[in-house]
Amino acid sequence: MSGYPTEIKLHQQSRLLEIAFDDGICYKMPYEYLRVHSPSAEVRGHGTGQEKLQTGKKNVGIVEILPVGNYAMKIVFDDGHDSGLYTWEYLHELGEHQAELWQDYLELLTAAGQSREPSH
Amino acid sequence: MSFSEADVQGALKNLTDPNTGKDFVSGKSVKNIKINGNDLSLDIMLGYPARSVWDEIRAMIEAHLKAALPDSGSIGVNVTSKVVPHAVQRGVKLVDGVKNIIAVASGKGGVGKSTTAVNIALALAAEGARVGMLDADIYGPSQPAMLGITGQPEMLDGNFMAPLTNHGLQAMSIGFLIASDDTPMIWRGPMVTQALDQLLRQTRWDNLDYLIVDLPPGTGDIQLSLAQQVPVTGAVIVTTPQDIALMDARKGLKMFEKVGVKIVGIVENMSTHICSKCGHEEHIFGAGGGEKMCAEYHAEFLGSLPLDIRIREQTDSGKPTVVADPDGNIAKNYRQIARRIAVKVAEMAQNHSTVFPKVVVQNT
Ligand SMILES: Nc1ncnc2c1ncn2[C@@H]1O[C@H](COP(=O)(O)OP(=O)(O)OP(=O)(O)O)[C@@H](O)[C@H]1O
Ligand SMILES: [Mg+2]
Repeated sequence: MSGYPTEIKLHQQSRLLEIAFDDGICYKMPYEYLRVHSPSAEVRGHGTGQEKLQTGKKNVGIVEILPVGNYAMKIVFDDGHDSGLYTWEYLHELGEHQAELWQDYLELLTAAGQSREPSH
Repeated sequence: MSFSEADVQGALKNLTDPNTGKDFVSGKSVKNIKINGNDLSLDIMLGYPARSVWDEIRAMIEAHLKAALPDSGSIGVNVTSKVVPHAVQRGVKLVDGVKNIIAVASGKGGVGKSTTAVNIALALAAEGARVGMLDADIYGPSQPAMLGITGQPEMLDGNFMAPLTNHGLQAMSIGFLIASDDTPMIWRGPMVTQALDQLLRQTRWDNLDYLIVDLPPGTGDIQLSLAQQVPVTGAVIVTTPQDIALMDARKGLKMFEKVGVKIVGIVENMSTHICSKCGHEEHIFGAGGGEKMCAEYHAEFLGSLPLDIRIREQTDSGKPTVVADPDGNIAKNYRQIARRIAVKVAEMAQNHSTVFPKVVVQNT
């Protein structure tokens, strides 16, 4: 089992979530990064190739974080998205591969002719 | 020459509680030491129910103190048990009237979960604990028959139900609420979750040390909603020694680990066969499978039970072995397993490390 979180900080100005685990690992991840990689079915679709590209989330905020059982947390974003269960395992994965996953996302955006900026 | 409180503590530091493997002082069991001249009295408060061994423990401690403190006069040791509530994760609502919730699960069906669950519950009750049984098998409830309970729960104020009772247990089951014709019940995902939540939270449990939850087999909706919504202390996995059952038990164990439910340990059921004619005992399904699995997953092997026709006959007729034949070997076996579980749960209850951290919001 992945480490259990010992500390969670929401840096509301810089829109960074800081999370430390009892296995000694600590990550800082932008809200936008977490939002566009939400593990919810809404974002992921049902299987590879089904993912729905999330766009215009540059300024997304986090309203609240709720524990789910002993293994995950739910992030409530201010755009109303709240159906993603971020397991400790998934958060470790997002933290560890942040650079690559972010780069992949930017490439997908460009390829789709979309932007991080909110529409209007 | 007389002796001091520190001498008494020192002496008890050298005496190990055979049930916990810890000495009585670091187990925080020693209370209320009183020295009056050369006379000594103290209380021992065990964190697990153990009425059947209180006398044994008292005698052991008294003898030890007599030897360690040669100047002592009369020594009075009073042994009792007090079960502490488990610290649960934030975000999961506590259940009123319940200190600890223990789920009994398996991968494969028919391995004897319900039988093991009810006998463990009765064994804990026999040791003096207040115990409840929640039959979470909404597809095929067994506990009404195993506990010999028929009838419907009385409705109380505020939409609560009174648990039904027998053999000293408080029990709730979907079987008390619906007519028992033989049609299997069909439940869909959200209904499953609701049914479990209602059985758990709309029952007015009366001051329970332990609530035992008898789960349906497998790794489905019930197991998941248990992990997400129920403040469970830990799960006991029941398996039989066949390879195929062990394989499924591994799946079950992994699933619980994945969703953060702690494993209390593993019980191997139908380990050996005892011939009802000659009493000969044989490992018909192979030996050592459960123990091997425990070693692999760093889980505790809680004990094993034989395949014995008396277990089936007594349990299926509404009077499980622990109450039908309390002095027999099988009941003793169940009591030992129950005590191991209680000791483990007490240790878990003291471990607060997995409490969800407070989320700090900063203007940075
Ligand atoms: N050690 C044993 N010796 C003899 N019979 C047993 C033993 N354990 C269980 N049984 C019998 O095996 C049958 C199945 O047991 P039980 O109902 O407890 O299994 P289960 O795992 O709860 O099943 P399910 O998966 O359907 O819920 C019952 O008739 C029971 O009496
Ligand atoms: Mg059963």
